[in-house]
Amino acid sequence: MSEPGSSPLPPARVLVAKSSLDGHWRGVAVVARALREAGFEVILGGMLRPSEMASVAAAEDVDLVGINVGGRVEVVERALDEMEAAGLGDVPVFVGGTVPPQAIPRLTDRGVGVFPPGSSLSAIVEEARRLTGRAFPAQRL
Amino acid sequence: MTEHQPETTSGIPLKLLYGPDDVPTDIWEALATPPGRAPYLRGAYPRMYRDRPWRIFQLSGYGNPEDMNERLKFLLFEAGETGIIIKHDRMTDDHLYDVDHPEIVERREDVGLTGTVTVGLRDYETILSDLPLESIYAKPGGGVPQSAVYTLPSYWSVASRRGIPLEKLAGTGQSDFFLTYLGCPTKEQIPPEAAIRFNLDLIEWCSERMPRWVPVSIAGYNAADSGLSAHQELGAVMANAVQYLDMIAARGKVDVERLAHRIGGVNFRVSMEVFEDAAKLRAARKMWSDLLGERYGITDEKARQMRIHVVTAGSAMTYQEPFNNIVRGTLMALFSVLGGTQSLGVSGYDEAMSIPSDHAHLMSIRIQQILQNEINLREIADPLGGSYYVESLTGELEQRGWEFFRQIQDRGGFLAVLDDGFLLECAEENNQQIAAGLESGERAIVGVNTHTIDDPIMEVEAFEGRSGAETWEMAMERLSDLRRTRHRRGAVEALRHLEEVCRNDSINAIPAFMEAVSADASIGEIGDVLRETFGDWQVPIGV
Repeated sequence: MSEPGSSPLPPARVLVAKSSLDGHWRGVAVVARALREAGFEVILGGMLRPSEMASVAAAEDVDLVGINVGGRVEVVERALDEMEAAGLGDVPVFVGGTVPPQAIPRLTDRGVGVFPPGSSLSAIVEEARRLTGRAFPAQRL
Repeated sequence: MTEHQPETTSGIPLKLLYGPDDVPTDIWEALATPPGRAPYLRGAYPRMYRDRPWRIFQLSGYGNPEDMNERLKFLLFEAGETGIIIKHDRMTDDHLYDVDHPEIVERREDVGLTGTVTVGLRDYETILSDLPLESIYAKPGGGVPQSAVYTLPSYWSVASRRGIPLEKLAGTGQSDFFLTYLGCPTKEQIPPEAAIRFNLDLIEWCSERMPRWVPVSIAGYNAADSGLSAHQELGAVMANAVQYLDMIAARGKVDVERLAHRIGGVNFRVSMEVFEDAAKLRAARKMWSDLLGERYGITDEKARQMRIHVVTAGSAMTYQEPFNNIVRGTLMALFSVLGGTQSLGVSGYDEAMSIPSDHAHLMSIRIQQILQNEINLREIADPLGGSYYVESLTGELEQRGWEFFRQIQDRGGFLAVLDDGFLLECAEENNQQIAAGLESGERAIVGVNTHTIDDPIMEVEAFEGRSGAETWEMAMERLSDLRRTRHRRGAVEALRHLEEVCRNDSINAIPAFMEAVSADASIGEIGDVLRETFGDWQVPIGV
């Protein structure tokens, strides 16, 4: 129930998925839970190919895509290209995981936030709020 | 105000000072038995490292088979490693995909990044060229069961072609359930019920033909680094062993007492909770010996001996200020040896960003060589033995480990708790707690959430191997070459025979896998047979 007078926004929808075929799930699970507890609606995509990243993001009508990177940055770039080609260029993306430090600028140059291992969960949630314009996504009571 | 109650990572309360009253009676009794005797609390062998220095056993592998071969030769002949581990590309190897599979093509730049990529037996010949297979100790790969039945037969077939009898080969398989169904549940894995059949086939095959080969190896490491706490790791390892032994006994082909020694090569994680984890290794040996004696009535002490391989926690290695990880690696390595490990792999200092660079790899070996040569560590067996603190932890872990073991058995046993998601839930709960501790600062990691600086002198580059999709392109060429030049009908027939054998679990499947790889069936064709026959495991969590 929202307070009278406030303008209720539906919770932002976030697709969380892995770009690589690597099965390590620990980081993804921790981040997905933090986002959910902060009021986001989290869609778990599992291991998605770049083209699937775009098609699932479109089908689920998400406000944000979070990609867990367990491989090279070229695969993430391909996912960004696929999203642009599918008309989802305005859906913000952020990534986490074992991103090679020297490759980070290639993502940040395209407006993608990078959260390597050791990043704080509150910083990740804060960025998700900023990217989706949901200052108080947890306002549902 | 109540005082903050300190505890270990797995939740054992810590006192300021420990004394004789903190050591349980049965630990006192076990302490009186020297190493090399059941219950092995004090070590697996009578003279420990004086006779057998621990084996320096590092994960290695990337790129093409040529790259892998070069790296192995460097590690063996120059860096001074004493055994080889072939690390395979996990995308193609864990899934048994050919490199032209759609799942691979869209991620082609990742190929070769986590290990070496093979398309078939010919690539194993390249990986192993110039290596003296008759005299080295090898772990050829096969972390997950469905890949082990491709990888081990490939390694063995290369040796056979060189005229080396199988009984001369020394090494170990893995086929680990924790990796497959807990640590890294991936796409398209055969269900645990099918996997265990292959593991039992490997065990029986090796029992008959390969006296120097450990057919499968339970890897507590993968349970622990996925989130299970120290006592949960112990309990789950014992439950896994019981699953194998009960099924082997039911099959009735191999004597359980003979088998027990075969599966007694177990892998554990040592994390930065170093005292608890050294105690864990000591508790593990005792629990193993007690389990085999009490549950299976095995009186032969030798059959109740557990040999331990330790991998230091990859999750302890930080992305920030990676050189700090050399210090962490040294501490974890030291306590692995204090706990009495038989072999050791130290995670690379660049673990959080890539597979090890040459330099990171060499540092992992140097850490171990410094421990072996410079601090008299090899001369003493069980130097922690009799420490009130360590013995108290050992007793506590043993008790909590058995409680967790009973919990698993009460839920229907090891396979049941993989299938119903219980172990995954335990791991997730622990991981949430660890994350919360890092967030609040209660758990401190230097350079990450305390004493942080922004200084480029601490930066390193991640190892990336060949640029772009070059490794994949070269593998595509080898695959098309294989398909073009092999004896086509021979491959088709071997695959058809493999499928028949897979559908009939009264036949040992290993010879059919040997025939298939020897007939130049590709990795993906073998995978197709398994997918067709067994279907996929349904991962009981949404990640």
